[in-house]
Amino acid sequence: MNPLLYFWLFLKASLFSTGGFGNLPSLHRDLLAHGWATEPQFAESLMVGQIAPGPNGLWVISLGYLTDGLRGTLLALLAITLPPLLVLVVERIYRAVERHPAVEGFMRGLTLALSGIFVVIMLNLLHTTAGMNVRTLTIAVIALLLGATRRVPFPLIIVLGAVAGILWR
Amino acid sequence: MIPELPHDLAAEAPSLPPTTGLLLREWLLIGLQSFGGGNATFALIRQTFVERRHWIEPVEFNRLFALVQIAPGINLLALTIVIGRRLLGWRGLLLSLFGLLLPSVVLTTLLTAGYAHIQNTVIAKNALRGFLPATVGLGVLTSGQMARTSLLEAKKGGRLSLSLGLGVLLTSGLMVGLLGWAVLPVLFLAGSVHAAITAWQRRAVQPEEPTP
Repeated sequence: MNPLLYFWLFLKASLFSTGGFGNLPSLHRDLLAHGWATEPQFAESLMVGQIAPGPNGLWVISLGYLTDGLRGTLLALLAITLPPLLVLVVERIYRAVERHPAVEGFMRGLTLALSGIFVVIMLNLLHTTAGMNVRTLTIAVIALLLGATRRVPFPLIIVLGAVAGILWR
Repeated sequence: MIPELPHDLAAEAPSLPPTTGLLLREWLLIGLQSFGGGNATFALIRQTFVERRHWIEPVEFNRLFALVQIAPGINLLALTIVIGRRLLGWRGLLLSLFGLLLPSVVLTTLLTAGYAHIQNTVIAKNALRGFLPATVGLGVLTSGQMARTSLLEAKKGGRLSLSLGLGVLLTSGLMVGLLGWAVLPVLFLAGSVHAAITAWQRRAVQPEEPTP
C-alpha cells in the first residue's frame, strides 16, 4: 500500500464533495479498485460514524483504522481536516458581498431551505438505521420533548434512549 | 422578575465572555459527549454556543450553518472552524478543531477496534434501536429551533415575507424528502428563488425614480 496515494484518495474524496457522506462514492470506488478495503469494512465504519461522538464524517477515521491501522487513522484525520478549512475562503467572499440585496435574499432562502431539508434528512436516517415504527418514533419524540425543556443534558437523553431500547422489547 | 430555575441549563453562566480555556473546555466536552454522530454533535454545538453561552446569536448561527454547506468536506468541521475563528481568531480556530477532534477521533478509533466484538450481541442491537432515535429527536429539535429563528426573521419583513419563507422551507423539504432531489441543487435553487422574489417585491414596493 502506497501511503501517499492512500492519503491522496482520502483527500480528494473530501475536497470534491460536501457533507459527511459526500466522500463515500469516491472512496468506495477507489479503495475497492486498489483492493485496499472491503465492502464489510465500509458498512462497519459507516455504522461506527453514527454511534461515536463527533460528526458522521468521522466514519472515515474508522475506515482508516480498519484498512491501515493507526497510520490510516492519522492519514484519514489529516485528509478530512484540510478541506473544510476552505470555508474561510467562502466566508471571506461572503463577507465582501453580504450587504448586496441579492446575496442577502439568497442566504435567507438557503437558510430556510436548510431547516426544512434537515428534518427530512434526519427522518430518513431514522428510517434507514433503526427503522420507523411505534417504538423508534416514540423514543424520538420523547427525546425531542426532553431536549425542549432545556433541563436535561443532551448526552443524558441519548443514554436514556439507549436504555429505553434495551428495556422496551 | 423571573425566578431563576436551578436546573435550567440555558441559564448557566450566560455572561462570561469566551476565553481560551472556556472555549477549549466547551469543544472538548462536545467532542467527548456527542455520542450519536452528527445529529448529537450538531445539537450540542448549537445548544452550547447559542442557548447556553450566548456567544453566537441565533440568526448568526443560521447564517454560519448556511455558509458551511457551500464549503468542501465535513460541514460540521467547517462550522467548528468558523465558530472558533469568530470567537477567538486563529487561536480560537485551532483550539476548536483540536478540542472537538481529539476526544471524538480517539473514541471513534476505540469503538472501531471494539465494534467487531459487540456488534452482534443482543444488548448492543437493542441499545442502538433506542440510541439512534434519541439522536434523531434531538436533531429535529435543533432544526426546528433554527427554522423558528429564520421564520421570525422573515416575519419582520411582513406577512408576505413570512409566507415566502414558509413556502421555501416546506417546498425544499418536500423536494428532498419526496422527490429525492440532491441537497446542494435544492439549496441553490431555494436561495435563487428567494433572492429573485425578494428583489421583485422590493421593486414593486419602491418603484424606481423615473429617468428624465
